[in-house]
Amino acid sequence: MTALWDTTGSEVVRELTAARRRDGMTSGLALTLIAVVGERPGSRSTPVKEVEDAATVSAAMHPCRLLVVTRPAGGHDHTPDRLDAEIVVGGRLGPCEAVIMRMQGRLALHADSVVIPLIAADVPVVTWWHGVPPEQISADPLGVVAGRRITDVAQAPDPVAALRQRALDYAAGDTDLAWTRITGWRALLAGALDAAGNGAWPPRAITIEAPPEDVSALLLAGWLQARLGTQPVLRQETGASALAAVAVTLADGAQIEITRHGNTAVLRHTGHEERRLPLLTRSLGDLLAEELRRLDPDELYAAALSAATGVAGLEHRPAARVRTWREGPGSRQEVTA
Amino acid sequence: MNPLRDPRDRRLPRIPEPCALVIFGVTGDLARRKLLPAVYDLANRGLLPPGFAVVGFARRPWDDATFTAMARQAAEQHARTPWREEVWARLASSMRFVGGSFDEDEAFDRLAALLAELRNTHGIPGNAAFYLSIPPAAFPVVLKQLARTGLADNQQAGGWRRVVVEKPFGHDLASARELNNLVDEVFTPDDVFRIDHYLGKETVQNLLALRFANTLFEPVWNNRYVDSVQITVAEDLGIGTRAGFYDAAGAARDVLQNHLLQLLTLVAMEEPTSFDPEEIRTEKLKVLRAVKLPPDIAAGTVRGQYQRGWVAGEQVPGYLEEPGVPEGSTTETYVAVQLGIQNRRWAGVPFFLRTGKRMPRRVTEVAVIFKRAPHLPFQPADVQMLGNNQLVIRVQPEEGVVLKFGSKVPGTAMEVRDIAMDFHYGETFTEASPEAYERLVLDVLIGDSTLFPHADEVEQSWRVVDPLLAAWQGTRPEPYRAGEWGPRGADELLARSGRAWRRA
Repeated sequence: MTALWDTTGSEVVRELTAARRRDGMTSGLALTLIAVVGERPGSRSTPVKEVEDAATVSAAMHPCRLLVVTRPAGGHDHTPDRLDAEIVVGGRLGPCEAVIMRMQGRLALHADSVVIPLIAADVPVVTWWHGVPPEQISADPLGVVAGRRITDVAQAPDPVAALRQRALDYAAGDTDLAWTRITGWRALLAGALDAAGNGAWPPRAITIEAPPEDVSALLLAGWLQARLGTQPVLRQETGASALAAVAVTLADGAQIEITRHGNTAVLRHTGHEERRLPLLTRSLGDLLAEELRRLDPDELYAAALSAATGVAGLEHRPAARVRTWREGPGSRQEVTA
Repeated sequence: MNPLRDPRDRRLPRIPEPCALVIFGVTGDLARRKLLPAVYDLANRGLLPPGFAVVGFARRPWDDATFTAMARQAAEQHARTPWREEVWARLASSMRFVGGSFDEDEAFDRLAALLAELRNTHGIPGNAAFYLSIPPAAFPVVLKQLARTGLADNQQAGGWRRVVVEKPFGHDLASARELNNLVDEVFTPDDVFRIDHYLGKETVQNLLALRFANTLFEPVWNNRYVDSVQITVAEDLGIGTRAGFYDAAGAARDVLQNHLLQLLTLVAMEEPTSFDPEEIRTEKLKVLRAVKLPPDIAAGTVRGQYQRGWVAGEQVPGYLEEPGVPEGSTTETYVAVQLGIQNRRWAGVPFFLRTGKRMPRRVTEVAVIFKRAPHLPFQPADVQMLGNNQLVIRVQPEEGVVLKFGSKVPGTAMEVRDIAMDFHYGETFTEASPEAYERLVLDVLIGDSTLFPHADEVEQSWRVVDPLLAAWQGTRPEPYRAGEWGPRGADELLARSGRAWRRA
């Protein structure tokens, strides 16, 4: 591990090369993962630690170069430009080599000038915002450089609005962790509906019980609507902490209901005995590992997002983004004045 | 067709249809150490269908609770994924036990009744896989019982019925054929799954990806560029408590006939037209049919038997001193053979296969050794350290791929020496990569037979091994010291053509 205080981008590149020689290279890099972390002033949780832990878990499956960029919450602040970096090759992060950077001042708006030279040659680039997702990904150069972009709208102050913003801003290759979180539910539902007869489609009614403003429930509803053609009814359960139940009435009258109790789901299907199935809450690392498994656009997410937000035509959006240049209001002179 | 399923949805795992897994010999070592833990791991990863039941069958006066407790202990002890009480609770609620001996009609009637009952209680519409984790001698009676009760009949069951058998698949061609006929008579051939756990390993599957997903290797994958191929399956362990089985079998039947020949087919086969199990099998069979034995079997093969020695810092007894081995046994614990493959791609390329017990370390690898450059425009002294280029697929441990090639030694002189470019799945990946049995059990339940040798392949493999066994009749294996890479004859086998074994 090497720490560089008040350093420059070239110094970081030099030190990473040296560390790779000294501490042994990670063999077979699968991708570069850029993690953008918003500082949470006054908060006791350490988002950088969460990112490191998650990357360590997912790197076991997807050996990667991890570039963590911490910036002030608003994108930039009025302090002088400054870059601090820590370089970890091998060691505590498992099969991943990491550069953890903290950027201050207007440098935060031009993080790409430091990050791009650090990206491993000719492997896919994934950018992950661990924090409030950006309004417009094209305005964040760290998003434009990536072929896959992962956001987490649940961390936004208004998750429902943020989800709609993701649909408006969608380009092929975007996904959101709110979608990843319901893979377990989707697998259960698909498994339960495997037992349905041929005359079951389309279902007569679908109800989803979830806490208000649960974005994962919205995406699940979007997915069911896109696949089954029946608009689900969302029933708000203020007491629940997460998605609580899904009930489907099939065209032939059979009822399928799945309810969650902690890490177990109970499946009730007309004419069958009640069954208990595991439905685990997964760690951030597991969610990230699932995301990194596929580096091509997730068309089913696009369809679900479109149905959930009512924004049409997502599947026709191009994958590439053109960067929207932003210098920021505070020029150097204003700062020093 | 369930509209929630979409082939583009690769986040949703491949999950079998609702089904039951019936394990015969569930109190045995394999079931405890591998099968039950694999079932738990599958459940933990969410890969089992909502309707799933495990039915144990053994000669014990147990009830469901006793069986569940035993299974829990086995799973807790040997599972590779973390222990989660709620996952176990779910599995435990669908575990059943049928006690009885294999010749007891009444026990099988109870089994049939239980499977019929699962249809209502667990929503399992007649799908069941029967795992025969029992000695081959017990196969006929169990299969007869399954036939008698109609348990093996797809039509009668209203779902699929599959059977899983473990090696040994017979002890020679005749017995293998007899076994195949017996199994095929009761089950349809497509419903028979023969487990060769090597084929469930990640790196072995990677061999196909490496060959058929890349352009880089295919052009040199032939006798114009390949000098020879070495396949090694070495174990540092002795025979343990398996003396009875091992002394009757020997290394050729135990490893050469299945693992080594399967690895050979994957290295040498032509590209299948698709990844359909049927297509892959066709290509593998072609290679097995083209295998050529050494003209003089005595000269082209080496058998060895380990003697007392030291392995990994411990003194170990010789084979003849192992408990249960008959005095003066001539069973081999090491075998090396030189095979050829008669087709345009491989004519003239020797395939050296070796396997042994009590080797210096445990290693399984496939090494493709390339020819040296036809002309080297360097001073002979400068390329002294340059060997053959090699591509090595390491199956275990340290799963990965190594490419060995010449590179300039930094400095003012033009000196070239070998370096190894090493790709290995991270240590954590090795842990996280599914145990072979997990993958294979899941494939059985899904009905994907890609990773299972077909009856034809088994029979064809015996056609390779039988003449060797016949030629070895009445000969004694060469002694080698435990902790050495086999008998001296094995080195001489390669030295005759100016080659040497790769130090694995």
